[in-house]
Amino acid sequence: MTANVTATIRERVQRIETMPAIPAVFLPLLKMLASSTEEVRVDEVVRLVSYDNAIAAQCLRVASSPLFGLAQLPQSIKGAVISLGLRRVETILLTCCLGQAFPAGKWSLDPDVFWRHSLGCALVCRKFSEKLAAADREKAYTAGLLHDLGFMVNCQAFSEEFSVAMERACREEIPLHQAELATMGFTHCETGRALAEKWGLADDVVEVIAHHHAIEQSQKAQPLVALVHLSDLLCRMRGLGYGYYERHKLNLISDPAWAILLKEHCDLEGVDLVRFTFELDDAVEEIRTLVSTVFG
Amino acid sequence: MTVAPQTAFAPRAPIKSAEAVDPVYRQIRDLVYRVSGIYKAEEKLYLLADGCARRMNQLRSRTPREYWDHLTAQPGHNGELRNLLNEITIGETCLFRSQPQLDALRKVILPEIVAEKSKQTTRRLRIWSAGCSTGEEPYTLAMNMLEENEKLLKGWTVEIFATDLNDRSVDTAKAGIYGDYALRNTTTYFKHKYFSAVDEKKLQVHPAVKKLITFRRLNLQNDSEMLFMKAMDLIFCCNVLIYFDGASKSKVVNHFFKNLNFGGYFFLGTSESLMNLNDQFHLIHFPGSIAYWKPSLSNAKL
Repeated sequence: MTANVTATIRERVQRIETMPAIPAVFLPLLKMLASSTEEVRVDEVVRLVSYDNAIAAQCLRVASSPLFGLAQLPQSIKGAVISLGLRRVETILLTCCLGQAFPAGKWSLDPDVFWRHSLGCALVCRKFSEKLAAADREKAYTAGLLHDLGFMVNCQAFSEEFSVAMERACREEIPLHQAELATMGFTHCETGRALAEKWGLADDVVEVIAHHHAIEQSQKAQPLVALVHLSDLLCRMRGLGYGYYERHKLNLISDPAWAILLKEHCDLEGVDLVRFTFELDDAVEEIRTLVSTVFG
Repeated sequence: MTVAPQTAFAPRAPIKSAEAVDPVYRQIRDLVYRVSGIYKAEEKLYLLADGCARRMNQLRSRTPREYWDHLTAQPGHNGELRNLLNEITIGETCLFRSQPQLDALRKVILPEIVAEKSKQTTRRLRIWSAGCSTGEEPYTLAMNMLEENEKLLKGWTVEIFATDLNDRSVDTAKAGIYGDYALRNTTTYFKHKYFSAVDEKKLQVHPAVKKLITFRRLNLQNDSEMLFMKAMDLIFCCNVLIYFDGASKSKVVNHFFKNLNFGGYFFLGTSESLMNLNDQFHLIHFPGSIAYWKPSLSNAKL
């Protein structure tokens, strides 16, 4: 990518920040997510969320979803923190804030489709990491949720160029990042990275956003990038893609990401991939409902 | 005088929605998966519950928990498990049963095989529908291949072998006459192009479609018959393996592996899987479906 393109991306991403719709709690929340659990105070999270009634209400609705499997539904944010755990509440909040961070408007990519994919990927990342003893589940969830942030940037700041890419991807039934590269010369990975860096997201999440289509380029967080890469592919194969048919076959075990993940997590070998795939289908309907609850 | 509560057996009504599912059905689902590789997703769990309800009526068991004992603890539980597998796979036969499978076949696999085999002198595609029952699957495959006749498969010879253990099924398959139920997923386009009306309710497959297919009786457990089915590019074997016990199943699957060309694909039913029956096949995901791949020679060591 030339310096020129990089400069254009930076300049247009800069303009996104001036948009009004980002909830006030969003950026402080992201900062909290970057710090360790010990440093975060429950009261602080509760206080932050209480600023914004809409976010608080949405957060409770999401926490009550069967996806989080609570026997008793929380009545307050504090209740949710206690029964779900702080990290999980943070990720739920992030989900809700993100929905409001970008205003409705001209989207080349159907927002419902985008959120289903992002939320689906977040969930698959978490389910995947549940099978791996040493993986950080909520980190995986956050990384999955944010991995395609660049598509939001594209819809906002490169809407004409991105519509051409989207149209080509649908017509030729090819992966969206390939169509982006062919028509725009850059992908959502670069635009996503620019916004993620502006927002000061954690380094490993930035790595995921920047390299989930080219893991070998990742320097710092390879196993996490590999986990998101594989979850992203799986989502696209099981009805949580970008809303069109991709002529694509996926051989998970011979994907380079598999070897990277296996090196870090030897228990990956024991994962029953077929069953994991079938179980994933169980979640698809749930995700559709959740997306219409949160973003509808 | 008090009357004892009525405990006489009453037939169970079929379960219609996923909400009514008793947790025991999830245990049964796991058992079915362990034994057969068939997995009923949460939204299809009511189908499993329905199948159980029909078996429970037969056995006069009153609760799912009691039926669980029939499946696991009581004498003859293996036979009962087979009865249940029969129940849950029944009625899955129709033309165009799995569109994602057909999409994977036409959009991803065919271009790949055609590119690979174009390097060779013979332009021949060999497909085997193993356990073809009454012919819905081989006819669906034949029609889809005919659709590619003027495109991808121009200049190619397509051979489809359709076999079943049951003579009567093979005869029905040969006749190629189907009613509404079997045709429920068949679009008007395909009905007009490849069928003629037999009477008001039934359609018959055109001879041009039949010409692609060789029907015959074959026992998948017969080693010499299996050895005969060589050089296949694609094998479809949907909801058949459930009828075999562990050892025969793995023998049959190993045969299939040998019957396939390098780079060939093996398809099972939509909720079926190979589990640990063969570790030489690679699991491949396509949009909405999975298949097993015999690595091409260059990949064989992977």
